[in-house]
This record gives sequence, structure tokens and C-alpha cells, in this order.
Amino acid sequence: MLLASFLEAHNILFENRVLTKEQVYKKLVDRLCSQYKLPVSGSKLLELILHREEEVSSAYPTGIAIPHIRMDGFNDTLIAMAFLGNPLDYNGIKVNWVVLILTDKTSSKTYLNIVAALLKLSKDKEAMKALASAGDGHSVIHYLKKNEVEVKKDVIIADIMVQNPIAVLPQNSLRELINLMSTHKVAGMPVVDETGKYVGEVNVLNLLEVGIPNYVMMLDNLSFLSSYEPLENLFSQQDLLFVKDIMTTDEIFVRPEASIIETVFLMVSHNKRYLSVVKEGKLVGLITAMDILRKVIAV
Amino acid sequence: MLAALIGGFVIIVLGVVDQSIAFSAIDWNVIFFLIGMMLTISVMRETGMFMYIAIKTAKIAKGSPLKIMVMMFIATAVISAILGSVTTVMILVPIVLLIAEELKITPAPFIITMVIAANMGGAATMIGDPPNILIASATKYTFIDFFLNLTPAIVIIVIGSLGLIWLLYRGKMYVSNERRAKIMEYNDKNLITHPKLLWITLTVVGLMLLAFIFQKPLHLENATIAMAAGLILVFIGSRKKVETIILNDIDWVTIFFFIGLFMIVEGLVHTGFIDLLANGVMSITNGEPKTTSMVILWLSGILSAWIDNIPFVAAMIPMIKSIGLHMQSAVQVQPLWWALSLGSCLGGNGTLVGASANIVAVGIANRNGYKISFMDYTKIGILFALESMLLSSVYIWFRY
Repeated sequence: MLLASFLEAHNILFENRVLTKEQVYKKLVDRLCSQYKLPVSGSKLLELILHREEEVSSAYPTGIAIPHIRMDGFNDTLIAMAFLGNPLDYNGIKVNWVVLILTDKTSSKTYLNIVAALLKLSKDKEAMKALASAGDGHSVIHYLKKNEVEVKKDVIIADIMVQNPIAVLPQNSLRELINLMSTHKVAGMPVVDETGKYVGEVNVLNLLEVGIPNYVMMLDNLSFLSSYEPLENLFSQQDLLFVKDIMTTDEIFVRPEASIIETVFLMVSHNKRYLSVVKEGKLVGLITAMDILRKVIAV
Repeated sequence: MLAALIGGFVIIVLGVVDQSIAFSAIDWNVIFFLIGMMLTISVMRETGMFMYIAIKTAKIAKGSPLKIMVMMFIATAVISAILGSVTTVMILVPIVLLIAEELKITPAPFIITMVIAANMGGAATMIGDPPNILIASATKYTFIDFFLNLTPAIVIIVIGSLGLIWLLYRGKMYVSNERRAKIMEYNDKNLITHPKLLWITLTVVGLMLLAFIFQKPLHLENATIAMAAGLILVFIGSRKKVETIILNDIDWVTIFFFIGLFMIVEGLVHTGFIDLLANGVMSITNGEPKTTSMVILWLSGILSAWIDNIPFVAAMIPMIKSIGLHMQSAVQVQPLWWALSLGSCLGGNGTLVGASANIVAVGIANRNGYKISFMDYTKIGILFALESMLLSSVYIWFRY
């Protein structure tokens, strides 16, 4: 399905004046209301959008904001968009493309796929430049048709994963690992060799386990201890032990073309909050449960 | 386990015995007793009482290594008399490793003496180690019979062992005051996480022991009592899911081992092999009870130092029954059973491979980087095995 098929020239605006968020949203709502019979009034719709915006920001780091309203008994998907000459500020993110999407309460799949297509487009600098300078709705639709910008049937992991994630080499010392984890504030990361081949994973629990001997793990209860030397001495092992000594090498990862449901299934059944994304043996990304929550569920 | 189970079915396939006979040889009184005790022990562990006893013991000993060793020896023997030796070392060895690490002393002597105490304690009661429950089920001896006949012997042997510990380790272990202070700082208050669960458990276990003591007038079999206690505790006491306990805390490997074993022994009885052995023993001793007891005691002791005492006792039971038929009165058979129990439980201390508790404890130590070799264990174990065998001989000789 082409993205252009969802669009109508009338609902695509170009705006060079300095406007507030509310003004931009009002313009988009007005366009839609003038053309379609909606279950709610224009002012009510605007209120819903602004209320939602307060709860969770609709902006993405690539400079696109996608406000979204689900309506009961509205069996359609409507899109209105505005290209802004003067970007809006969404808590530090400069947004120059606002896309309003109205959908039915039940169908989120089409919506998700449209969002994925829009996000992909917003990352493409060349395309964004062409669209921003298109000038009118017809040219935008023409450009999208010509370049065959598609709305995929299903969102795949490659669409929402973090690309080029932080990774660590097996021969890195624990000190280097500790530094990486604390500077990037991550609780775990993939392990790759020099060629980028995925070899395993290491997380903060693997690291802390170094300070706990096997026999302590066999105790039923440790509440009688207030301090314990081996744990405190973990830092003395930092340069003597390496990532390869503590990493896990279980082969639980996803392919970039894996579906959301497959990924969620793997995460839940293996109790993992993130998975490496591996293509032909090489690490290409990382998908966290929070990514899925934010980009798929909480939209 | 697999070997026992395969063996059990091989004798059926080969036609040594019919399936129905092999199955009827499975002693359900033993199987359900074991399951009941495993359920009871699972909830007892959950209360934290054993951790509490161990930590409290170390604190009462004020961190002094010899005192800890002596008091742990006694505590281990008492706990093992209720839990059996394998469970006891699985709970206590990690604690001893922790204490030794904190005191910066080598844990090997503590682990070795602890295993020895566990094997001794297990022999003291009917519900302790498996050989005793096998004997209880095969004879009509009750909990009280075991208590009156075996517990005094074990008390004497434990006292003797404490003397041996004093001779072996006195003045050999030094710990700085700073290290001792660490042990004294242990906060044992937090170990009993759910006092209510503890009281329920102690009440049910107390009732279970009373039921064992009065099992004759109450007409209750061992399995009934143990299962009743286990099921009550699991349903009203435990905070864990019943399915989790049944899956994780019942040692199914042991249960199937026993099932296979009963079938194999039935096969041996059917082939007449056991009768042959019995006649052999009788021809040496002329059926004289005291001499026969001594032969059984030392034969069990020496063999149990090398082979697992459970299959050994399972095979000896029909043999002693067969010998019993040649004796003039039932009273004369009695010392034979006690000799079998003492020999097979205490002989296991002789070498590293003599008992399951030894292998389990040394396994835990080795996994934690404290290597205890066959000789490390055996040169200590053999002393305690000899001491306890000699004291057992004196006990049986003068008592019966």
C-alpha cells in the first residue's frame, strides 16, 4: 500500500508564519472538519489532541510530531499534515512536520504502519528537503507516489529498533564494561567480535555475580549479613576478568525482519527486557521492551 | 537412579520375575514416607529455622573455630536425625563455607567433620537416613524402637567423636579478633521471616513426632503420618505454590531410585541369591546371635565405606529375614537389625565415596574452589568410622 493513497491534497498545509502548537493543530482539525462528518465537533477534537499532548509528547527526535486520536465508531483513517517554515518546540525537539492522524478505537495496525512509514521518511534528509519545498499538497502526493513510499503491511523490528547499539568486545576488561554501562546508563549490552559478529550478551547481574561465590547462591536467606568482602572486592577483579568470562552465550536474539509479536513472545518467554537484533550473524541493532511499549503500545 | 530403574525393568523383560510381582515389591510405605518427609522438610526450610540454628551456633561459639566445629558437629547431628544427612549437608555446608571465608580459615576440616556428624545423626532415628526407614518398613519396629535402641548408641558415638575432634584439631586453628567480631555482628533476627509460619511448622512437626511415638496404639503407618504432616504443611503453611513444591522440592530422582531398587531386590530374592548369602553367613557364625551381629555390623561397615548403603541395606533386609527364620526367637533377630543400621550408616564415613552426603558436601566445596581430595577426606573419615564402629561393637555386645 502506498502512503500517498491515504492522503488528500486538501489536507496538506504549508505554513511559514510563527504559530503555536495549538494554532497548528486547529488548522489541521479545521481542514478535516470542513470535509468529513466526524463523530465529535472540531473544538472537542482539538481539546482531545491538546489533552493527549500533555500526557505524552507526540514528537520524535527526527523532527516529526504525530498527534493521534482514536475515536469510537469511526471506521476510517484520516490524515492531515502541516510542513512548518518555523519549527515548533516540543521540549527541546524542533518539529517542522506535524501529522495528525484520526483512527478508529479498534484498528491500530494500519495506524502503526503509517507511523512507521512516516518515521522512516522523517529520517531521510533528502526526502524531507524535497517535501518541505514541495509547496502544495498535490506535489507532496506526487513525490510520494513517484518514490513509491510504502506503508508496510506489518511493522517489523528493523523499523523500531535502535541502530548501531553500544556493544562490547569479549576481550574488554570488566573495568571497561563497568565504565560503558555507567556512562551510557544501560543495564546490559550485546557482545560482538572485531568483525561485528554477535557472540553473546552481558548484563549488570552477570557483573555483580562475580562478587558472589557459588555457595552463597545456595543459601536460603542472606539477611543476617550486613557486609560481605567478596562483593566489596569486586573492584579488585576488574582488570583480571574479561567480558568473555561472564557473558551469556545463549542464542536468544531476533532477526531484523521479525514481527513485533515474535519479539514480544521471545522477551516474555525468556524473561528478557532487551534482545539483540542479528542479521546473518552480525549485530545490527537492539530492541528493548520499552521501545515496544513506547513505539507500539503507548501511541 | 537410571541404573536402578533400568535394572528394575530388565529383570522383568528377562523374565526373572513377573511385572505384577516386581510392582508389588515396591514398598509404598517407604515411597510415601519419603515424599511426606520431603514436603515437610521443604516447608521447614522455608521458615529459615535451620539457617537460624546455624548462625546462632556460630555466634554462641563466639567465632572461636574449635568451638564452632564442636557445636556445629552437635547441631548437624541433631538436624540430620530429623532431615537425613543429604538434606542437612545441603543446607549447612554453604553456611560453613561462608563462615570459614569470613574467618579466613580453611573450610575443609569443618566440612569433613560436618559430613561425619550428618551421617551419625541420620543413623540415630527412624526418620533420619534411608537405611533406617527401609529397615522400619521391612520389620515392625516403630519410631520408639529406633529411639530406644539406636539413639543411645549414636549419643555415645557423638561424644566419642567430640573427643577425637579435640585430639585432632586442638590448638591448630587461629583466628584474629577482628575476624571473630564479624561473626558476632551477624544479625540473626531477620532469618525468621515469617514467625507465624514457624509456629505452624513447629506445631505440625511436633504432632508428627507424637504420632510417630504413639504409632502402635494409633495404628498409623509411617507413610500415613509423614504424608499427613507434609500435606497439612504444604496446604496451610507454605507461601509457595503447591505445584512448585511438588516439582522442585520432592526429590523425584531419589523416589525413582527407590522404586527401581525394590524391583531389583525382588529379582535377587527370586533367584535364590539372597538365601545363598544368608546360608553363607549362618555357616560362619553357627547362628549365634552375638557373633552374627558382629559379622553383620563389620560387613555392613566395610562394604558401606565403598558402596552406597541404600541398595546394600535393601539387599541385606531379605537376607536378615532369612537368617531370622533359623533363629530360635524373634528377640534374637533384633540386634542384627540394629547392627545393620549402625554398620551401614557409620561405615559410610570411612571413605569419600561411602555415603551420598560425603559426595554432595565435597561437591559443593569443590565447586567453590576448595578442593577436598579422596585422601583429604578419607584420612579423617576412616578415624571416625573406626571409632564409631568400635563403640557400636561394644554397645551391641553388652546391650543384647
